[in-house]
Amino acid sequence: MSTDEPLLPDFKALFENAPCGLVVTSEDGTILTSNSTFSNWIGVSASEMRGRRFQGLLPMGGRIFHQTHWAPLMQMQGSVAEVKLDLIHRDGHIVTMLLNGVRRNHPSGAFYELALFGTTERDRYERELLAARKHAEELLSEKTATEVALRQTKAELSLAYEQSQRRALFAEQMVAIASHDLKNPLTAIKMATDFLAREERSAKETKLLEHISQSSDRAQRMIADLLDLARVRVGQGIGIIRRPIDLHKIVSQTLNELHMAFPRAVLRHQSAGEGALELDADRMQQMIGNLVANSVAYGDLSQPITIRSILEDGVALVTVHNSGPEIPRAAIGTLFEPMTRNSERDEGVRSVGLGLFIVREIAKAHGGEVTVASNSSDGTMFQVSIPTSGHSLR
Amino acid sequence: MGLEHRNNVKVEGSGPATLIFSHGFGCDQTMWGYLYRHFTSRFRVVMYDLVGAGQSDLSAYDRAKYSSLTGYAQDLNEVIEQYAIGPVIIVGHSVSAMIGALADRQVPNRIAAHVMVGPSPCYIDSEDYVGGFKLADIHSLLDTLDSNYLGWSSTMAPVIMGAPGQPALSEELTNSFCRTEPEIARQFARVTFMSDNRMDVVGLMTPTLILQSSEDLIAPLAVGEYLHAALPASSLCIVDNVGHCPHMSAPSACSEAMDTFLSPWAGQHVD
Repeated sequence: MSTDEPLLPDFKALFENAPCGLVVTSEDGTILTSNSTFSNWIGVSASEMRGRRFQGLLPMGGRIFHQTHWAPLMQMQGSVAEVKLDLIHRDGHIVTMLLNGVRRNHPSGAFYELALFGTTERDRYERELLAARKHAEELLSEKTATEVALRQTKAELSLAYEQSQRRALFAEQMVAIASHDLKNPLTAIKMATDFLAREERSAKETKLLEHISQSSDRAQRMIADLLDLARVRVGQGIGIIRRPIDLHKIVSQTLNELHMAFPRAVLRHQSAGEGALELDADRMQQMIGNLVANSVAYGDLSQPITIRSILEDGVALVTVHNSGPEIPRAAIGTLFEPMTRNSERDEGVRSVGLGLFIVREIAKAHGGEVTVASNSSDGTMFQVSIPTSGHSLR
Repeated sequence: MGLEHRNNVKVEGSGPATLIFSHGFGCDQTMWGYLYRHFTSRFRVVMYDLVGAGQSDLSAYDRAKYSSLTGYAQDLNEVIEQYAIGPVIIVGHSVSAMIGALADRQVPNRIAAHVMVGPSPCYIDSEDYVGGFKLADIHSLLDTLDSNYLGWSSTMAPVIMGAPGQPALSEELTNSFCRTEPEIARQFARVTFMSDNRMDVVGLMTPTLILQSSEDLIAPLAVGEYLHAALPASSLCIVDNVGHCPHMSAPSACSEAMDTFLSPWAGQHVD
């Protein structure tokens, strides 16, 4: 061994300048001795510290934690490790430290030997971690809350859907029952009227019987219209049965019948083009009838009403034109909605305000559409376009 | 679910009356280790862990039920119902002293006496009352709890469980004592330190021994005196001790005072 070998520091120097704070207390926390490293860290000299309680160096939260957690641990277990503590520096700022401690028994009690390590930087990082965890937990609980709300909304929606399904079914049944039950007495009235009209009648009686007949026809149309409305409203749409038809022929047949219904109006038919197509003939008749009735109700009857049937490539067009006043711009938007009327005119040809609505629905049922153009000079023209089989309008 | 599992109930000793030991905030029933053996020859001794603490069943922790001390008091009455034989004396430390008082209010005349160790009916100061703490102190405690529970989950023991230089320490002890899941610790800290049970103790006629440390940060002398005045059938015993756990740091002084108080219910001493 060389004599140049430096001497190891003595125990006193080791204690004083150890790279950690060292404190010895009695069981109640009274500081018996402490090293200068600890003094430097908290700005209190060893002599000032002696006799004070170690827990007196902690803020209130730490003192409670000491009483409820690590003091009992020192009693029961004889040691603690890695307790994180805030200590109050003489100038008031907080110094964060990790504490290891052991209890060393002596004949009249025990010493608590404490080693403390500064952990300010790590503490900053840990606080960030803690904040991040809290943030993550908040987000999670927000997410959970949102999911719960979503589930609830879904449940409410599905309940509302069920209710509306039940209502729709009920409405459908109501309409079906009502129309069926109304149709029968109307048919009886109509038959009885026809039967009575066959015999010799006075002029007055004949007129009254005509009224009865017309009124029951009208009531039947209304029931049919209401049935259509109900079908559309419960989401089924108007039912159609397509069969091969000759469009021009259907239109001219319809007009022949309408001549009798509207004797005061002049109806003109023009046709153009040729082609095979499949449509519901009864519905086409109903549609043309509604459009003509509309022209009769609102048009200028001193001028003819012109009905055109046109077959073009991929599309069948039916237009109904009348002269007369322009449809007010504000009314155009709701023209095809049910129960809307342009005026209070009623010449006995009116239904319950469903005519144009049913026109639109019949067009739709055929995959087509109805449009209207109206101004004061040209009058009003409705145009129904229906794609012929294999074609689509859009 | 059995109480034995839920509250980790342990029964020792025998006698004509039952002593039920209920631990305080921060630890579990092992804190009675220095004290309870003194009584097993004359009493039936029951110890248990509050739900959320020690080796209780953590899955039984219901945030709503334990959002006030009432939930813990219900549990205590269930433990009494199932385990007590003869007169029942509750030995409650700290917050458990108030849990005992609430249990007494819930089921009158079932509890024969209370031994309250370091009790406080209210920790926070108000206009005409000194509890020893301000609201900010409680928040400071919650912060300290947070920073000490950082990074461990319910399946890990807390960092303060380490026992440097004592590898021989029994695993059971290191793994249960003071173990609390962080979220539970937070709520229990809040429930404990925010509770105000002054109206529950006033006029409680059950005989009560208050074991008051001469110096206790958590339950100062003034609080012990307040409680003594509020409980008509109480006696106040000041134990010469610094700290909140006289049953650990001054067990013989505690058992001596308890012997005198408990003598009407004690069985014959059997050695």
